[in-house]
Amino acid sequence: MRRWRDAWRDRRVAWSGSLLLVLACAAFIVPILAPLAGQEWGGVDLYRRLASPSLIHPLGTDEIGRDLMLRLLQGGRVSLMVGIVAALAAAGFGTAIGLFAGFRGGRTDAVLMRATDGMIALPLLPLLIVLAAIDLKKIGVPTSLVDSEAISLYRIIVLVAFVGWTTVGRIVRGATLSLRSRDFVRAAEAMGASSARIMLVHILPNLASPIIVATTLAVGEIILLESVLSFLGVGVQPPIASWGNMLTGAQETIAFAPQLALYPGLLIFVTVIACNFLGDGLQDALDPRAERRL
Amino acid sequence: MVAKVYVLGAVRRPLTSYDTDWKPVCLMCVELPSIENGLAEKVDLGNGKTGMKLTYTIRPEARWGDGVPVTTEDVVFSYEVGKNPKSGVIDSDLYRRILKIDVKDDKTFTITSDRVTFDYAIHNDFEILPAHLERAAFADPATYRFHTLYDTDPTNPGLYNGPYRIAELSPGSHVVLVRNPYWGGKQPYFSRIVIWAVENTAALQANLLAGGLDMIAGELGLSLDQALGFEVQHGKDFRLTYKPGLSFEHIDLNLDNPILADKSVRQALMFGIDRKAISDQIYSGRDPVADSLLPTLDPGYSSDVPRYNYDPAKASALLDGAGWKISSDGIRRKDGTPLTLELATTSGNRTREMIEQVLQAQWRQIGISVKLKNQPARVLLGGTVNRRNFTMAMFAWVSAPENVPRGELYSDQVPSAENGWSGENFDDYRSPEADRLIDAIETELDRDKRQQLWQQLQALYAEDLPSLPLYFRAEAFVLPHWLEGLDPTGHSAPSTLWVENWRRAGVQAAK
Amino acid sequence: MSRFVAMRLLQVAAVLAIMSFVIYALIGLMPGDPIDLMISSNPHLTPADAVRLKALYGLDRPLIERYFAWAKAALTGDFGYSRLYVKPAFEVLLPRLGNTALLMGASIICAYALALPLGILAARKPGSAIDSAVNMLCFAGISVPPFWLALMLILIFAAGLGVLPAGGIATIGDGSIPDRLQHLVLPVATLTLASMGGHLRYIRASMIETLRQDFIRTARAKGAGETRVLTRHALRNALIPVVTVLALSFGSLFSGALITETMFAYPGMGKLIYDAIQGNDFNLALAGLLLATLTVLLANLAADIAYAVIDPRISYR
Repeated sequence: MRRWRDAWRDRRVAWSGSLLLVLACAAFIVPILAPLAGQEWGGVDLYRRLASPSLIHPLGTDEIGRDLMLRLLQGGRVSLMVGIVAALAAAGFGTAIGLFAGFRGGRTDAVLMRATDGMIALPLLPLLIVLAAIDLKKIGVPTSLVDSEAISLYRIIVLVAFVGWTTVGRIVRGATLSLRSRDFVRAAEAMGASSARIMLVHILPNLASPIIVATTLAVGEIILLESVLSFLGVGVQPPIASWGNMLTGAQETIAFAPQLALYPGLLIFVTVIACNFLGDGLQDALDPRAERRL
Repeated sequence: MVAKVYVLGAVRRPLTSYDTDWKPVCLMCVELPSIENGLAEKVDLGNGKTGMKLTYTIRPEARWGDGVPVTTEDVVFSYEVGKNPKSGVIDSDLYRRILKIDVKDDKTFTITSDRVTFDYAIHNDFEILPAHLERAAFADPATYRFHTLYDTDPTNPGLYNGPYRIAELSPGSHVVLVRNPYWGGKQPYFSRIVIWAVENTAALQANLLAGGLDMIAGELGLSLDQALGFEVQHGKDFRLTYKPGLSFEHIDLNLDNPILADKSVRQALMFGIDRKAISDQIYSGRDPVADSLLPTLDPGYSSDVPRYNYDPAKASALLDGAGWKISSDGIRRKDGTPLTLELATTSGNRTREMIEQVLQAQWRQIGISVKLKNQPARVLLGGTVNRRNFTMAMFAWVSAPENVPRGELYSDQVPSAENGWSGENFDDYRSPEADRLIDAIETELDRDKRQQLWQQLQALYAEDLPSLPLYFRAEAFVLPHWLEGLDPTGHSAPSTLWVENWRRAGVQAAK
Repeated sequence: MSRFVAMRLLQVAAVLAIMSFVIYALIGLMPGDPIDLMISSNPHLTPADAVRLKALYGLDRPLIERYFAWAKAALTGDFGYSRLYVKPAFEVLLPRLGNTALLMGASIICAYALALPLGILAARKPGSAIDSAVNMLCFAGISVPPFWLALMLILIFAAGLGVLPAGGIATIGDGSIPDRLQHLVLPVATLTLASMGGHLRYIRASMIETLRQDFIRTARAKGAGETRVLTRHALRNALIPVVTVLALSFGSLFSGALITETMFAYPGMGKLIYDAIQGNDFNLALAGLLLATLTVLLANLAADIAYAVIDPRISYR
């Protein structure tokens, strides 16, 4: 617990942590409260397209007259949710691989780490675009799921988790490797504990700090990736708003509606940089000797 | 694809086309055959069928860019290529309808067609190929599409019979057109035209402003809202021309859906949306609201059709009458089933995504919940819609003037596994009356009688609403003030088919 | 050394072979096929036409059979025709490869030209104001969405000030060198700023690490000037881990190039691959993805060899 308090003393952690918390609260609560303000306020209204900021619409309205601030918060909810859920999934996957590689060492480690390096080295974005384009029905995903409005959301979570695990994997592997030779692990081994037990009971709990750090960093990385894919039209699809897809088309209106291009990108930038600062601060506080991330 | 048609318009002339007033005209021929002038006649084909004999004469001055005259040999060769199943020609129906071509002399030939239709004289898609150059490539028909000189040697002057020929071709970048010295028609004013392909519309506008480009063609340039934005900023430096066209933006409805099978629900869907507001607010009124399936410029157009002005009260009454009652959450229900529909359109098309969300909001007001489910164009139009895997789908039909909507509305044109998913009656619209009218229009040679049939068909469509008409998309041309003679067509034939009329203001066309 | 290179080349070939099958299969899983598109865009097509065209394009055979037919042809250099460009796929790709190489190369050079001095400057006094500023720059660099950065640069320099072109590769009708360079400024700046943060971080960290080492103290004690210590002794050692990172970064640099090219309508490989996927141009997408993978793998290999050259302690057997 003390370490957490120390971490909070770190200015980076305090500032970015608070910022993310406020953003998350606003993004999750305001859209729920919005209907109280009436359909008129947040809804489509063709007669107030691209309105300038006013008291009622603090950031103005978008191309079809919706309140831009509300839209940004709705987008934030999606972007943050994708970031967090996918980062947790990626962390789970990365931890499993890192733990296994670090613990088994030798050839297993070499193969797994080569694969990880390979993943990092490949030009992933075009591959992701292909993956995002495949017909889910052809690989046996139930039709009811494929036809749901939120399918683009599930798809992007799976996709970015699939490529997002490498950071966590490398960090966990490094930490496992050093724990592997520690006395308490040797002792457990001598007492005849099974490999699985040693990994799960003796090593994993000690990995909490690096995993938390790596996951925090992964959230930022994934939000960035989601925004890129959504921007390219292969991520989250309208009418679900995400910061990425709100920017699609902003290039065409940039000359007369620059605010549509400015705000969503600014929010992505601020969120991702906060995640990075938070991760960095947590690392210094919780896990000062850990291998630096790649 | 459009880009290719656009360039070819300046360098290669089809036998016939529709002009800018949407009237059929001869381009490569001397005179359109008609019963009156004796160049067209009905013939008995035996087996109880009637066909037509159509006599065309190729313009005497027509020559390929290498000086070789365009002759009936070319026509016969083109027909051979077109009807050969291995040649990779996509539209083989055009050539199937031609039973044979008889050559009278070097310039005159007779087409025997297997049916009688009102548009018998029109062979707009009949592209004449240069037999003296292409015959070698066609030696093996199966590999013709790889060996055709249009792809392997596109700057060969002999491939082109238009006022210009292609002097330089850089796919994805630009095409340089220079005058075809053997062109026998009206001499074009510009000695050289460079057509640039700029995919990014921001770059397109920047280049126009920087002077690198003189004009932006409406056929494939800016979307309407970009053009409107451009006009606000730079309107005084350019001439913006908006030509409402044949792109019929509409929503196909799958009539197998039990909710949509009810005509009063379909009519309620129409009364529930404010198309006028969309047209006025988003398109500054440039995209006219569609009342039925033909635009005002079409020869078959009739204004005498049921109309659907925005009337939420009427929509609600229709839904109430159909048994869809509003429930506590504001969504209508009938026997516990909520009034929920799915709407799909081409994702990545920002305008459509925008309109779709407006429609969704308006329908929600009258208690209809619409879920949006978009797919990339290649998926929606290349699979989902033609396999009839949709509830409502928003896209456009683009056709020629006075195009008979047989594929879209005839009851035997419903795509199914049995017919290999061909046909465009995606809605499963089956109306004996519509079938009768389509058959009648196609074979009615009398202008006035045909017009009456057209009126009935448009009224029937607007009443039955197999799909929801939205509006006709306009093409936006951005032209310099000094350019004259460029007339947008608004239909599928590109304005480049009359490229020889383009000239600088104040200059009389050189004879 | 040559044995090492041979082994690595073998690895590259193996990865390529695996990737080719994976990509081929994935592309087969994409919905819709070109024939369906033709059918839907042409009302006059009959079922017989559809069957005829399917057979003509070989789409009626099973996936695995098609893959081997494709692979056999590919080994002889025939990657099929691009549907969109109606040309052999490689003929479409090659000029684009040059454009992308120019973009990526220029941005790597710019990124290092900025990151090296900044990294050294920051590492000299960790915790100083300069270091904090550099650190902030690193974080900004790795956190900014590259497409948004491009949008902002367009907003400021093209739409606002009007001093630089918003896209394309040259002003139409002008192909001069200064004009082409002008068109490169914003794309290269975008890619440089977006990729520099990562490099800067490693250079700084690696320099700090190196400056703590004994041999630096020895060099300083021997009275070597500060500049000489930094550049001759420290930098060379600090660069070793940096080169590893460089080797691993080509993949993400290519991804960055794809975004940059799309934003600036720059006719490069990334944009071509994106368009090919969006346009169901299977042959072109496949050939493009493989060429991109090959390029990235070869760049990795080159960096590995450079590693051997700058680090005398490493010898490859």
